[in-house]
Amino acid sequence: MPRSMARLFMVVLGQIALLAGAILIMTPVLYMVSASFMTNDEIFSTRFQILPSNLNWGNYIEVFARFNFMRYLSNSVFVTGAIVFLNLLFSPMIGYSLAKFDYPGKNILMLFILATVMVPFTAILIPLFLIVRGLGWVNTYQGLIVPFAMSAFGVFLMRQFIISVPDDYLDAARIDGAGEFRIYFQIVLPLIQPALITLAIIVFVASWDEFLWVLVATAGDTLRTLPIGLAKFREQYQTRFELMMAGSVIAAAPMVVVFLALQRRFLQGMAGLSGLK
Amino acid sequence: MFGTPQEQNLRHQSFHQRRRGILGNTLEARKKRLGLVFALPAFLFFGAFYLYPLFQTFYVSLFSWGLLDDPKFLGMTNYSRLFTDKEFINSVWVSFLYSFGVVIPIWFIALGLALIFNRTFPGRQAYLTVYYIPAVISLTVWSLIWLLMYNPTFGIFSVAARALGITGLRMLDDPSTAMPAMIILSIWKGTPVYMVIFIAGLRAIPNDYYEAAQIDGANAAQCLLYITLPLLRPVFLYVMVISIIEAFKVFTPMYILTNGGPGSATRVLSMFIFQNGFQYLKMGYASAASVIFLLILLALAIIQFRLLRFQQND
Repeated sequence: MPRSMARLFMVVLGQIALLAGAILIMTPVLYMVSASFMTNDEIFSTRFQILPSNLNWGNYIEVFARFNFMRYLSNSVFVTGAIVFLNLLFSPMIGYSLAKFDYPGKNILMLFILATVMVPFTAILIPLFLIVRGLGWVNTYQGLIVPFAMSAFGVFLMRQFIISVPDDYLDAARIDGAGEFRIYFQIVLPLIQPALITLAIIVFVASWDEFLWVLVATAGDTLRTLPIGLAKFREQYQTRFELMMAGSVIAAAPMVVVFLALQRRFLQGMAGLSGLK
Repeated sequence: MFGTPQEQNLRHQSFHQRRRGILGNTLEARKKRLGLVFALPAFLFFGAFYLYPLFQTFYVSLFSWGLLDDPKFLGMTNYSRLFTDKEFINSVWVSFLYSFGVVIPIWFIALGLALIFNRTFPGRQAYLTVYYIPAVISLTVWSLIWLLMYNPTFGIFSVAARALGITGLRMLDDPSTAMPAMIILSIWKGTPVYMVIFIAGLRAIPNDYYEAAQIDGANAAQCLLYITLPLLRPVFLYVMVISIIEAFKVFTPMYILTNGGPGSATRVLSMFIFQNGFQYLKMGYASAASVIFLLILLALAIIQFRLLRFQQND
């Protein structure tokens, strides 16, 4: 049957195109992994070596030995963890307030939070630095964490979800004599659990990658996170590309792992950005 | 503005209740106080870390201040200096060049990929996962990878150019190729997120529309042109606004790959603000640049809203 043949042909053609696209898209990532196992000579070979001749795990050991990699890694984990925690603590609370309560100043607060989505971070970089400096927080953990304790996006995401929690649930609990905080913690939060995971993923992605603020708000080595550590490493060891790539693999791995583990939720979360409109 | 009937009803009620205030022991008054208590952290946080800084940016921009000395009042002098500063004008130009060079291809590629992934085919989920990977690689790491790929000795571009008989291709050292180099790596990294947003937008279009169109004898192209694209307009507006803001914010790739060079070929506005503020310690001058930066983005956002509303009315 020519018709089904044509169809099969299209499917095969489509698969070839998709596969070619996938290989193209993954090239930089695969190259990073491959280069992280090469010797310096292999990287610099002018006839473009694709694979290392043997797996040089030594690069990974040297990365940890040669600079404060462990420190950067634990700083990244701590700072990102704290930011995610604070966002999970505050965003649903404010979202709850915006979704289910009414009080003077609410609409102004809502408009204002919405407007901050449009404010690029760079535009308030200098005053933010001045505030943090005024508080004596330059080169401290709180200086890296507190300015990101909430995000306009997170608050709105929570509000959207909490609006769909039926008022009847809350009123029934009130009639049964539950206190307001108990209602919040035992009824509202469990009901929006999927949204909380989405929020955690989004905040994690953003803060793991934060660059400019860490560059500005830290001095010296002790508080640097992985991105800044890697950038400084590049300045210090201009040509040790194999170490740079080994460090990169370690820095990139956590996010890739989280993505692969929570794929569906992850993509929903990223697409959920459009739920804001 | 904030749409569900439920909410409008709530706002309507509140209009009558407002007079009763937040004091007293009625349930309504208690709920108002409670709402405020829950919102208090937001008032404090967004006030301290967004609203105050916005005013502060403008205020500091009126001074000459090196951070360690005393601020000296200048009035609008910083602004008049900016408009005659060739470096600043160049930065604005470079930011526009980079941003539109990145976002316009991203819109088309992301939408195209979304239309493909909106169909069902074998291995769809696996392909989607792979196509999304660049978006989850840290931007710092991504920039370092491309530092290797653009290397004049062993980088894939120079090697390919040599194979074609072009010697001495130095992507990052030549002012005419440095900006395209930045644009390529940013498109590569930025597309997947918008692709996923478009996919979500496509999913939200009810199937009935397509079924009805098919009964009326519409072909695939007509469906795309008269159903999909018009209904995708709000998503498209969102993608436009967010992608442009994101592109204008760019800093990391420039910091790692070129530091704004060669010359000033890749010195985007964020780079200009960072260097003036934190390397030359010109707080006032950098703040004035930040204000202009904010105004540019505001103007772009307004233009986009107008543009899309206009199309909706015709």
